[in-house]
Amino acid sequence: MASSLSPPEEASYHHRHSKRYSSSSSSTNGVAVESVPDFVKRPKISLPNYISPSEIESEFSHHDPAFTRINNGSFGCCPSSILARQRDWQLRFLRQPDRFFFEQLKPKLSESRSVIKRLINAEHDEEVSIVDNATTAAAIVLQQTAWAFREGKYDKGDAVVMLHYAFGSVKKSVEAYVTRSGGHVIEVQLPFPVISADEIIDQFRIGLEAGKANGRRVRLALIDHVTSMPSVVIPIKELVKICRREGVDQVFVDAAHGIGCVDVDMKEIGADFYTSNLHKWFFAPPSVAFLYCRKSSSGARDLHHPVVSDAYGNGLAVESSWVGTRDYSAQLVVPSILEFVNRFEGGIDGIKKRNHESVVEMGQMLVKSWGTQFGCPPEMCASMIMVGLPVCFGVSSDSDVSKLRTFLRERFRIEIPTYFRPPADGEIDPITGYVRISFQVYNKPEDYHRLRDVINGLVRDGFRCTSLSG
Amino acid sequence: MEADERRNGDSSNHNHRAPKKPRLAGLITESDIRSEFAHHQTGIARINNGSFGCCPGSVLEAQREWQLRFLRQPDEFYFNGLRRGLLASRTVISDLINADDVDEVSLVDNATTAAAIVLQKVGRCFSEGIYKKEDTVVMFHCAFQSVKKSIQAYVSRVGGSTVEVRLPFPVNSNEEIISVFRQGLEKGRANGRTIRLAIIDHITSMPCVLMPVRELVQICREEGVEQVFVDAAHAIGSVKVDVKDIGADYYVSNLHKWFFCPPSIAFFYCKKRSSESDVHHPVVSHEFGNGLPIESAWIGTRDYSSQLVVPSVMEFVNRFEGGIEGIMIRNHDEAVRMGLMLANAWGTNLGSPPDMCVGMVMIGLPSILCVESDEDSTMLRSYLRVHYSVEVPVYFLGLRDGEEGVKDEESGLITAYVRISHQVYNKQEDYERLRDAITELVKDQMTCKNLSAV
Repeated sequence: MASSLSPPEEASYHHRHSKRYSSSSSSTNGVAVESVPDFVKRPKISLPNYISPSEIESEFSHHDPAFTRINNGSFGCCPSSILARQRDWQLRFLRQPDRFFFEQLKPKLSESRSVIKRLINAEHDEEVSIVDNATTAAAIVLQQTAWAFREGKYDKGDAVVMLHYAFGSVKKSVEAYVTRSGGHVIEVQLPFPVISADEIIDQFRIGLEAGKANGRRVRLALIDHVTSMPSVVIPIKELVKICRREGVDQVFVDAAHGIGCVDVDMKEIGADFYTSNLHKWFFAPPSVAFLYCRKSSSGARDLHHPVVSDAYGNGLAVESSWVGTRDYSAQLVVPSILEFVNRFEGGIDGIKKRNHESVVEMGQMLVKSWGTQFGCPPEMCASMIMVGLPVCFGVSSDSDVSKLRTFLRERFRIEIPTYFRPPADGEIDPITGYVRISFQVYNKPEDYHRLRDVINGLVRDGFRCTSLSG
Repeated sequence: MEADERRNGDSSNHNHRAPKKPRLAGLITESDIRSEFAHHQTGIARINNGSFGCCPGSVLEAQREWQLRFLRQPDEFYFNGLRRGLLASRTVISDLINADDVDEVSLVDNATTAAAIVLQKVGRCFSEGIYKKEDTVVMFHCAFQSVKKSIQAYVSRVGGSTVEVRLPFPVNSNEEIISVFRQGLEKGRANGRTIRLAIIDHITSMPCVLMPVRELVQICREEGVEQVFVDAAHAIGSVKVDVKDIGADYYVSNLHKWFFCPPSIAFFYCKKRSSESDVHHPVVSHEFGNGLPIESAWIGTRDYSSQLVVPSVMEFVNRFEGGIEGIMIRNHDEAVRMGLMLANAWGTNLGSPPDMCVGMVMIGLPSILCVESDEDSTMLRSYLRVHYSVEVPVYFLGLRDGEEGVKDEESGLITAYVRISHQVYNKQEDYERLRDAITELVKDQMTCKNLSAV
């Protein structure tokens, strides 16, 4: 693969990724690749044929080559072999839709659910429902909360606690369902940049206290596993434990960036409800997500898909498997995705680990080059990290970063989301602008080098956000 | 799409005014049609377009291009392409259905979704005390099962009551339907209640009948029904749709049934009113509060490609003589012709007169088959699929005490009907295969009881 890497980074990058190469390759770009240590310890059988870099390129050859695509977090990606399987499913329906509906759809969706159940360590198949996306899952859980308020199960004014950095759509959903039906919403303010998980835990405790003030109950805690903007991995297990101790009725984890990004173990995490998109970090086509609902949870039986079909009343998993005539192909390819990720060493866990290491490494390279900092310590990020932009850009508003994002896209063909962090009082030379870089298997160091160089070029040219027209 | 099919190069630049009729020389040929539907399984008589519709190869191709645009650079597509593409589709539809304003037209997944939107709103009104407990929702007894469940989930749950109007079937005239509907409204208003919503099918699903929807809506207005929701899942591409003329508050139709779109897409029309409409998409996104069309245009990351191909579908239908109007007329005429052929061959009847049919017709099955339950009809349907390669839905007509029913030539009571569909890919031999299958079952003295033993 073509590369403009400087030697030290190249060596470390190839060292870590040497295991992706088949055992027959010896050197790349003049840098010796160390032999795979395990090979020595194993008996004399050939190494499994892991996917090669050129196969990976081929799998993502439909990505626009003109773009530097470092925003996997927003819309994910889907390899062409999965897209081909998806087309197969679409064709099966189109060929003879009645037969497909009567004979194949239900059992095949069940297979997908079984795969997910095993992946996330859920207890029962019926705890796993497949929905379009986390936004839909939020509507399902929050609708249940709204019913409880409307029907007097909860007192008006009882609280729902959520993070201030919750996803915009989720906040609106809370407004539409909870506020409207009489619930009181408390937003926990989180610091950013974040120094440690304890900061988050402390703030969360304060939020719960506020929720319980005046004899109220906290009926629902809505917690992100990985916040979207700014992106930070939240200490979910600890927060769930605190919720249990403090008598919170239900905990709903919004892990849009969950599966394929962080460890997703339902028994370990212990939440009542947990949702994650598969099209972000698990290579599914748009769109498919799961909503896990613990069987023993109160309210589990009152969860319904808002699009009511003749499957109503048979449990959420069954209701979700028929919401009227739809294209269910994205939900049907899940077993095939497992085949895809297992072509990588270590399967999805290996991918997660390498994505994390690479994004931290690339982030450190940028921080060093721009003289800025991370938005959180490396151990609080997964496959995305917030990297401060040079202070001299003078980022001073949401509008600035929005225009900057558009500028980077239109002028330099770089796709990267940007974030404005209001400065605190008295801060000297605050870092007010951040980019969120993602790393997925199709990314290469030169993607981040390009970003680095473009930003440095703008610095050299005396660029200011105020110069951008809106 | 091939270069010679695309006129403007980019479907989003399409001329959205009334579609021009093609010159005779450019009309689609028989072999073109076969090619467009070459992905349909061969060797089966696919006479059930009504359930899941169909989509021609050129539209599937257009869909793939939209999918690819997203996959290539999703952020760019989201910021620069999606809304425009959806507006182009909505504009085509708005023109087609004679809406006043494209803002009255939202795109949703299917009619089931639209029903949830309307019924959630009604449910909120009950919950928030705007409607009194026991105020009513009136609908036909043969309303689609999903709609009935939606009423249970959103209206009954909060104390609303329902009145079901029994559709006479077989039916002989619009007057029969209008008469029972009036009675239903009376019942809905009894004891000082207010009818908050009437749900009227434009074309019922099972049994399939074209309803006098314009007259029924007018009666609702006369009788003080607050809102009217027309469930027209089968309408667009089946029958002319003029929402202003029909005059309902809400009107939904699936485009993947009779309008050649891939699964799935429906348009949901909400008549503009001076007061706030309070209809919302149940999947709430950051667009909440910006009006239903905008809310529906972003319900989280999804594949919106089936909603983007509507301009390409217009290109497709305009390759037929008379465009979509021509297709509708020919589908109706052929379905009726085939229906009469079957009724004659079996000695039975049509479920409704030809002017109360669209591209679908109900034909009575010979009484000797002894269809006596829904289970029997399901079994017969499977049997026809497996043993005769015929795909056709079967309807069991449960007669109530006192109802006379219709007899066939053998003087047996007709208890079941098949619903045949005709779409552009169908051929006469499809219906002949059904004819011969039933004739053979009758000759072999097969009843549903025998079938279950097979």
